[in-house]
Amino acid sequence: MIQVKDLHKSFGKLEVLKGINANIEEKEVVCVIGPSGSGKSTFLRCLNLLEEVTSGEVIIDGENLTDPKIDINSIRSRVGMVFQHFNLFPHMTVLDNITLGPRKIKKMSKSEAEAAALPLLEKVGLSDKASVYPDSLSGGQKQRVAIARALAMEPKVMLFDEPTSALDPELVGDVLEVMQDLAKEGMTMVVVTHEMGFAKEVGNRVLFMDEGIVMEEGSPQQIFDNPQNSRTQSFLSKVL
Amino acid sequence: MEALLNSDYMKPMPYLLEGLLYTLLITFVGLFFGFVIGAIMGFGRLSKNKLIYGLSSIYVEIIRGTPLLAQILFIYFGLSQLLDINMHKLVAAILAIALNAGAYIAEIVRGAVHSVDKGQMEAGRSIGLTKTQTMRYIIWPQAFKRMIPPLGNQFVISLKDTSLFSAIAVGEMVYQAKTYYATTFTPFETLSMVCLLYLVITIPTSLYLRRIERRLDV
Ligand SMILES: Nc1ncnc2c1ncn2[C@@H]1O[C@H](COP(=O)(O)OP(=O)(O)OP(=O)(O)O)[C@@H](O)[C@H]1O
Ligand SMILES: [Mg+2]
Repeated sequence: MIQVKDLHKSFGKLEVLKGINANIEEKEVVCVIGPSGSGKSTFLRCLNLLEEVTSGEVIIDGENLTDPKIDINSIRSRVGMVFQHFNLFPHMTVLDNITLGPRKIKKMSKSEAEAAALPLLEKVGLSDKASVYPDSLSGGQKQRVAIARALAMEPKVMLFDEPTSALDPELVGDVLEVMQDLAKEGMTMVVVTHEMGFAKEVGNRVLFMDEGIVMEEGSPQQIFDNPQNSRTQSFLSKVL
Repeated sequence: MEALLNSDYMKPMPYLLEGLLYTLLITFVGLFFGFVIGAIMGFGRLSKNKLIYGLSSIYVEIIRGTPLLAQILFIYFGLSQLLDINMHKLVAAILAIALNAGAYIAEIVRGAVHSVDKGQMEAGRSIGLTKTQTMRYIIWPQAFKRMIPPLGNQFVISLKDTSLFSAIAVGEMVYQAKTYYATTFTPFETLSMVCLLYLVITIPTSLYLRRIERRLDV
C-alpha cells in the first residue's frame, strides 16, 4: 500500500530524514516510535506531501507522490490525517467540519454528505454533537471528530501524528478505542505514538526512528520484549 | 425652541449636513475600494513570490511613510499634471481615501490571515482541499472575523481624514464650515457643531466596536 524508498528531507541545511525505507501493507497498522526530534512527524507529513520530499520516492496505492505530474489534492483526499492538536475548523459545526471535504471535493450535495456523516459520528460515539461547535467539546471529543472528518473522505490510509498526546489522560482511552475499531475494520494505519500500550496491542509492526532513520523495526513483541539495537533499548528503558 | 433653532449654533446646520453627506460618501466609497486594494495588497504581503511581496510592500511603506495631506495634493494636482487631465475633486478624494486606507487595511488583512493557526491550512490541505479552497472556506472566514474591529477603527480614522479634503475645496463638512463662518464670523459656534457631528458618528461606532471586540475575545 505504501512504499517509501530512500526518503530524504532537509529543512535548509538541516537534514531531518536521512534515507527512510519502509513498506506498509494493506490493512497493516504500523506504529512509529522514537525520541523527540527524530523526524517522526516529518516522515508522516511526507506521506501526504504536507512536506515537500527532498529526494527518494513515496508510492501510495501505486501512485508515485514524488512524480511532479501527480495530482497532490487527489492523493491527499485518499490519505486521511489526524493531528496532535486536532485542527478542527472552529467556525463550523461538527457536522460541517465533517461534510466540508465530501461537499467541496467529492461534489456531494449537502444532504448526501450529511447522510454519510451521521454514521461516522455514531462510529466515534458523538451522534449527539452534530450541531455543536468544536469549542464546546473536550479534547477527546475533538479528536474523535477529527477522525470522523478524515474518514468522511473514505481514505485508503490513515495517518495519525500523536493523536492522544494533547489529551488529558482520562480522555485518551476513548480515542484509542476508536482507532482500535478502525484497525479491526481493516484500515491501513500509520500511527506516530507515545502510547506503547496501543503499539503493543494494536500495532502489527513497530518502527523505531532515531536521528532521521529507521533504526529498528519488527513486530511489537520483538521491539518491546527483545530490542536488538542499543538505541532502541535505551529509548524503551526511558519510556516504559 | 424658536430661539434655539435661530441660534448661531443651529444656523449653519443645513450647510454642515450637506457637508456630512459628502464626508460619508467619500468615506464609504473610498473604504469600499480601500478594502479591495487592502485585500489584494495584504495577500501580496503574504506571498512567497518575491516580486509580488516586494511590490505590495513598497506600496504599503510609501503610503504609511507619507502624510495624507501630501498624498491628497499629489493625487489631485500632481497626477492631474502628470496625466494632463482635469481630475474631478470627488474622484481625487475617493482615490486618496482608497489608496491611503488600502495600505493600512493591507496590514490588517495580512495580520489577520497570518494569525490563523497554521494547522488550519494543513488540516484543509490534508482532506484534499486546494490552497485556494482552504483559504476561502477555512482561513478567510476566521481571519475576517478578526478584521472587523480594526476595520471599524480604520473607518473612524478615514472618516476624520476626509476633513483634509478642505485643502482641495471638496465640499465636505470642514470645508462647508469654513466657507460658512468666513461670512458670518461665527467660527466658534460653527466648528462646535462640526465636532459634534463627527462625534455623533465616531463615539457610537467606537462603543459598538468595543462590544464586538469583547464578544470575539471570549
Ligand atoms: N518546518 C520546519 N522547518 C525547520 N525545521 C523543522 C521543521 N519541521 C521540523 N523541523 C525539525 O526537524 C526535526 C524533526 O522534527 P519532527 O517534528 O519530525 O520530530 P518528531 O520526531 O516528530 O518529534 P516530536 O516527538 O517532538 O514530535 C526537528 O529538529 C525539528 O526542529
Ligand atoms: Mg512530532
